[in-house]
Amino acid sequence: MTVFRKPASVKGALLALLLPAGIGLMALAWLVHGLLLDRMAREFVESRLQDEVAFLEHQIRDSDGKLDTLQTGDYFQDVFHHAFAIHSPSRTIISPKAWEPLLMPLVESDQDGTLRVHGSDIADAPSDILAYRQSFRVGDTPIVVIVSEDLGALKRSQSELHAWTAIVSILLILLLVSVIWLGINLSLRPVVTLKAALRRLQDGEISRIDVEAPEEFRPLVQQLNQLLDSLDQRLERSRDALANLSHSVKTPIAAVRQILEDEGRPLDNDLRHQMAVRLDDIDKQLDAEMRRSRFAGPQVGKSAYPLKQARDLLWMLGRLYPEKSFELSSPLAEESRWPIEEQDLNEILGNLLDNAGKWSSQCVELSLEQGNGVARIVVADDGPGVEKSEVANLGQRGLRLDQQMPGHGLGLAIVREIVTRYGGDISFMTGSSAGLRVVIEF
Amino acid sequence: MRLLLVEDDRLLADGLSGQLEKAGFSVDTTYTAREALILGEQEDYRVAVLDLGLPDGNGLDVLRKWRISHVSYPVLILTARGDWQDKVNGLKAGADDYLAKPFQTEELIARLNAIVRRSEGRVHSTVTAGRFELDENRQSLKLNDGTEHSLTGTEFRLLRCLMSRPGHVFSKEQLMEQLYNLNESPSDNVIEAYIRRLRKLVGNDTISTRRGQGYLFNDGV
Repeated sequence: MTVFRKPASVKGALLALLLPAGIGLMALAWLVHGLLLDRMAREFVESRLQDEVAFLEHQIRDSDGKLDTLQTGDYFQDVFHHAFAIHSPSRTIISPKAWEPLLMPLVESDQDGTLRVHGSDIADAPSDILAYRQSFRVGDTPIVVIVSEDLGALKRSQSELHAWTAIVSILLILLLVSVIWLGINLSLRPVVTLKAALRRLQDGEISRIDVEAPEEFRPLVQQLNQLLDSLDQRLERSRDALANLSHSVKTPIAAVRQILEDEGRPLDNDLRHQMAVRLDDIDKQLDAEMRRSRFAGPQVGKSAYPLKQARDLLWMLGRLYPEKSFELSSPLAEESRWPIEEQDLNEILGNLLDNAGKWSSQCVELSLEQGNGVARIVVADDGPGVEKSEVANLGQRGLRLDQQMPGHGLGLAIVREIVTRYGGDISFMTGSSAGLRVVIEF
Repeated sequence: MRLLLVEDDRLLADGLSGQLEKAGFSVDTTYTAREALILGEQEDYRVAVLDLGLPDGNGLDVLRKWRISHVSYPVLILTARGDWQDKVNGLKAGADDYLAKPFQTEELIARLNAIVRRSEGRVHSTVTAGRFELDENRQSLKLNDGTEHSLTGTEFRLLRCLMSRPGHVFSKEQLMEQLYNLNESPSDNVIEAYIRRLRKLVGNDTISTRRGQGYLFNDGV
């Protein structure tokens, strides 16, 4: 069982990541706020208690330790928001009176500084206080001053503040969620239009995707459109080819049938020959179309291992022409790939090598190279070569397909056609030791 | 000259067998792969013509089975497809030549005579060294794990030279004699490039270098 299933949509993934993160961070902020608030309040209260003790001490010293002369009336009520106790051997003042049981033990203890009392159970007095005690002498009179604050009240106002913070936090989270939601929806809007475009494409309303896609999706749209283009081209090509073929095959078939149906006519040699010519025509047309349909042309996701294929073909031709030597020279690694469809490469190499094998006297050399983004195929033989004036005519197919003359040069014409389809160059030259040298560059 | 013709189209088979008889072959005709398998192994033919598309099986499988059971006479395959991969597969399976349908009978007879002549005096000759077996007829290297690598002309000649005397050091000059090259003066680098490629096939340690002397084939590795 999987605890966490990966969300299937981008929207889901973003939400699944951003929402818990937002909530978690907000909760952390709230907790830290609580801690800081607590600490700050305590420090503030402590320093105020200290100030007030210092103030009282100052008053007492001014009055030379005579507590009676201290003004404890309205003035104290106004200035002091805190309970206090002043103790000298002669007199003890505690205000308010109800705190007396709480403060007396502190007066009698001899520990100065910040003191904390909690959990006391005295009527009219708080259960939890913070006090500051200071003892000093005025002349010979020892005096103790304590100022204290009701922590319960402080805590109550503190937690009220904290609660408000929580409410604000939750509101902020809701705001955050809606902003995230809005952001996701806005940034994914192109996907929705893309989806709609795809649907319209499927329904045949449009023939290409024409969407202002954001940068991230542009290659996708381009690739799709390219695929559509090549699909269209292929359909058109195969229709043309079939139409061509049908046109050029039906006539010979009709002629042969005509002869066969005519029972009165004897099958003399001339007639046999004519029938054979017609059948040959059909075969040639079929052959040419088959080859054409086999060329894939440049395609996405198709590549070939040139070395492996070259090896196989060289080996095969070595078997077919046992008295000749077929050699390979290549700096390529065994696993290197070329972005050419496998059969297309086979057709190029096979036709070139077969041609060279036919004409060579001893040796055919194939070299495969690659550099600067160019793949180079060189096939050289040591045969009689080609006259300079005829080089330009090699592999030319100036005729329409259904009038194509058979025989010599068909292989080179096929090679030229494939190379052109890949946007490559083919050139013929006289080799270093006579012979013909064919160079193909992609 | 006894000839086995395997072709499932009866019209073509009968016509062909008549013309082959006229050309001096004594022809046995069969229309199925099953019968071809039995006949090919039992009878001693001089040459066979094998169609690849048979109703009850693939001609290439028949050919492979023949070769496995050491049927050694030459075989010409007839194929209707005729793309290069098809031809390579045919020869790899053990054919000696191929002809694409339709063909002229004269061409078939010329090819048959050629492969018969080529196979004359041919014996099953191999050079064995260590884990490796070099098949001279097929110009290929067999490893003892059953894999087979086809070799180009010079690769084959170099390997045959090295494997003919395992442990013997051959100088670069000696190896250079095995080289066919369009360059008039091949450099030492060419030999090194070939040795590198052969090492990829047989393993680095199998062909070792003696500095300043040459190369040797280790059959013990």
